[in-house]
Amino acid sequence: MHALIKTYGRGLTVLFVALVAAWVLLMILVPGVRTIQRAFIYEDRAGETAMIAIEIDRAYTEKFQLDQEAADLHAQAEAESAPSSGVPSFGAPSMGGPTIGVPGAGPSGGAAARLSPADRDARLAEIAAKVATLEGRIADLEAREDTSSGEAGMKERYSFENFTTMSMVHVRIFVLTLFYALCVTVLSFLICYPVAFVAATTRSKGKLTVMLLLLVIPYAINELLRIFSWVMILEKNGILNSLFDALGFIDLEAGEGIRFVASNGAVFLVMVYAYVLFMVFPIYNTIDTLDPNQLEAARDLGASSWRIHTRVVIPHAKPGIAVGAIMTFMLSAGSIAAPEIVGRGLHPDWFSQLIYRRFFEADSWNQGSAYSLALLVACVIFIFATMRIFKVGIRDIAK
Amino acid sequence: MAGQDVVLQNVSMVYPNGFTAVHPTDLTIKAGEFFSILGPSGCGKTTILRMISGFLEPSSGTISIGDTVMNGIGPNKRPTALIFQNLALFPLMSVWENIAFGLEARGESKAKRRKRAEELLDLVALTGQGEKKPTELSGGQRQRVAIARALAVEPSVLLLDEPLSALDLKLRQHMRAELKAIQRKTNVTFIYITHDQGEALAMSDRVAVMNEGRIEQVSSAEGIYNRPETAFAATFVGEQNVFRGRVVATEGEGISVETEHGLLHGVNRNALTPGEEALVMVRPEQIELMNGNAMGAAERGLNTLSARLERRDLEGALINLYLRAGDYPVHVNMHNTGETHVPGEQAIALGFHWRHTVMMRPGNLAKERA
Ligand SMILES: Nc1ncnc2c1ncn2[C@@H]1O[C@H](COP(=O)(O)OP(=O)(O)OP(=O)(O)O)[C@@H](O)[C@H]1O
Ligand SMILES: [Mg+2]
Repeated sequence: MHALIKTYGRGLTVLFVALVAAWVLLMILVPGVRTIQRAFIYEDRAGETAMIAIEIDRAYTEKFQLDQEAADLHAQAEAESAPSSGVPSFGAPSMGGPTIGVPGAGPSGGAAARLSPADRDARLAEIAAKVATLEGRIADLEAREDTSSGEAGMKERYSFENFTTMSMVHVRIFVLTLFYALCVTVLSFLICYPVAFVAATTRSKGKLTVMLLLLVIPYAINELLRIFSWVMILEKNGILNSLFDALGFIDLEAGEGIRFVASNGAVFLVMVYAYVLFMVFPIYNTIDTLDPNQLEAARDLGASSWRIHTRVVIPHAKPGIAVGAIMTFMLSAGSIAAPEIVGRGLHPDWFSQLIYRRFFEADSWNQGSAYSLALLVACVIFIFATMRIFKVGIRDIAK
Repeated sequence: MAGQDVVLQNVSMVYPNGFTAVHPTDLTIKAGEFFSILGPSGCGKTTILRMISGFLEPSSGTISIGDTVMNGIGPNKRPTALIFQNLALFPLMSVWENIAFGLEARGESKAKRRKRAEELLDLVALTGQGEKKPTELSGGQRQRVAIARALAVEPSVLLLDEPLSALDLKLRQHMRAELKAIQRKTNVTFIYITHDQGEALAMSDRVAVMNEGRIEQVSSAEGIYNRPETAFAATFVGEQNVFRGRVVATEGEGISVETEHGLLHGVNRNALTPGEEALVMVRPEQIELMNGNAMGAAERGLNTLSARLERRDLEGALINLYLRAGDYPVHVNMHNTGETHVPGEQAIALGFHWRHTVMMRPGNLAKERA
């Protein structure tokens, strides 16, 4: 602290400290602590509050549908009184999504059946009555919700239930995701190591520049676009299948297109592509520092290429490989765009998709937090395991 | 592991950028010989060594080791071992693993490797240091590990690329003796590269002097120093006072050259003929002071020269005199006998025997002197 003040003066030091504090607080402590806290707070979804909430939702949906039907009937009546009757009515507002799949939603909300004026009036009266009862119920339910949610808020308790209630299906997905991420990491390594080695040992500056450019250029493009471009390539009517068609392997017209997307292979491929740079550059950087004479010395002593790599190059490149593996693993374990877009919901889920749905579809932020925390812990364990296996310290990695 | 002959026939190296690093060269290195290649930086020494070790394919010519032509055979398949300018030890392996790496590459069992490593550690006087990492050793010890590592594969030819250049003077002199001893013990052919003439002269059975991609002379250390054959060899190894002139007469090995300091006589090393330009060379230790007794110098076979003293340095056993004769600097060194008298006069008469005076065809002179 004193040293800082001495070198930078009081003003700058205060700024530094403030920035560091802000960083630690906003970037590390607040989100971290909040996630962890939520992860351990169990919300009893089957409890009274939750039930009431669901009922309110249902009541609103029902009311909405009734309103729609009434509006349709009114429109019909007007159309009939107008001279140009028989023209199909476009007046009905198109139905939004919420009705679909909601249990007990009554008759589907499309255009109301054509009724005679008398029936129509009867139906309108019936609807008005129903809406009135519904409104009464909603008011009642909402009043109960207020009181009970207050109680429920009191009942919030810390527990492991967010974790222990994870269904077997989810656990399976969790384990599989870690396995998939590992696959992606290993694949990336297998692809990147030779590339990095060649790039680092090539003597021609021109070749090196071209190689690095080819590697970097795709990264100037947004990740989503890159993923979509792969989808275009892999689709059933995509570029790859067209190519096969042109080569005569398959007949697209006859629907022989191969469905590459929505398979693990496709997801892996796209992810490897998306994260190669994170693997190539750390490895390239470490191999670049290897004295070329060591390669020659090993060869001169009679070593085969395989032995040169396993005994000289890879041990030297270990810190780079560890960094690359950690980054690739973390990114792919947490990746959501690739499995979502390439997987098309057909491919087995990744845990990241599950987390997303916990948050935004099941609307269970606490469980979402618990799931994320589980993933985070798995990743941290992976980091330490990797560092152990590669016998590298934090310092080596920081280099 | 007995040494083998190394024969270069018409070997040249043109790099892809068109630069000729080695002009067509014939060279025969005998089995079990300590052979040095001596030359200034950038003359192509490493290039020759890399061609012999197999890392570079010669642009022309053939290289054979023993009776086998080596062209097209990779470095891992040649009976050579290379010691690099920077040693290139494997920093992540222990000393003994370094030494045994060649055996590991051959698939020897760990016990066998271990045993052989211990033997070699004994040979290079590093007994008990096997478990250390190379970085935990001193420069000289690392040097010896590199030698042991190379010897472990029982090469018939050991190639050393300025292996001592990173060491300080004391250690260098010590290692010279060790290298020589190891070479005698193992009887492997050593091809030793250096730009340090002291090293080359002290250790070698024969020395090749190289300049700008050409081998100028191959002979014993003594021959290189006392009977240089080219202007470059003469000036690169040891020191020479050089005068320019024109040949006026030759007779047997004797030759007379007219210079601005009069007629000088010497040995005709390059078969010069009258009318040709010539360089007159004489080493500083071959020049004596006449001390006013120039009478009968010609009868005694001495050339004489008058020069002005500019500076004198006493260097213990030696006295260095720096003089000037017209345009030419003249360096004389003589033994300090305790009674040596250096006149302080303006013009000092110098004398040097014609047998110690060599006349050369003009050519490159060494600019750099190690
Ligand atoms: N790969 C290359 N491409 C083009 N020219 C090269 C290459 N390697 C070396 N040279 C040139 O060839 C010449 C000889 O190089 P070499 O390495 O054999 O010199 P050297 O005698 O070993 O010098 P030093 O004593 O400095 O090690 C040098 O002028 C060098 O610039
Ligand atoms: Mg060299």
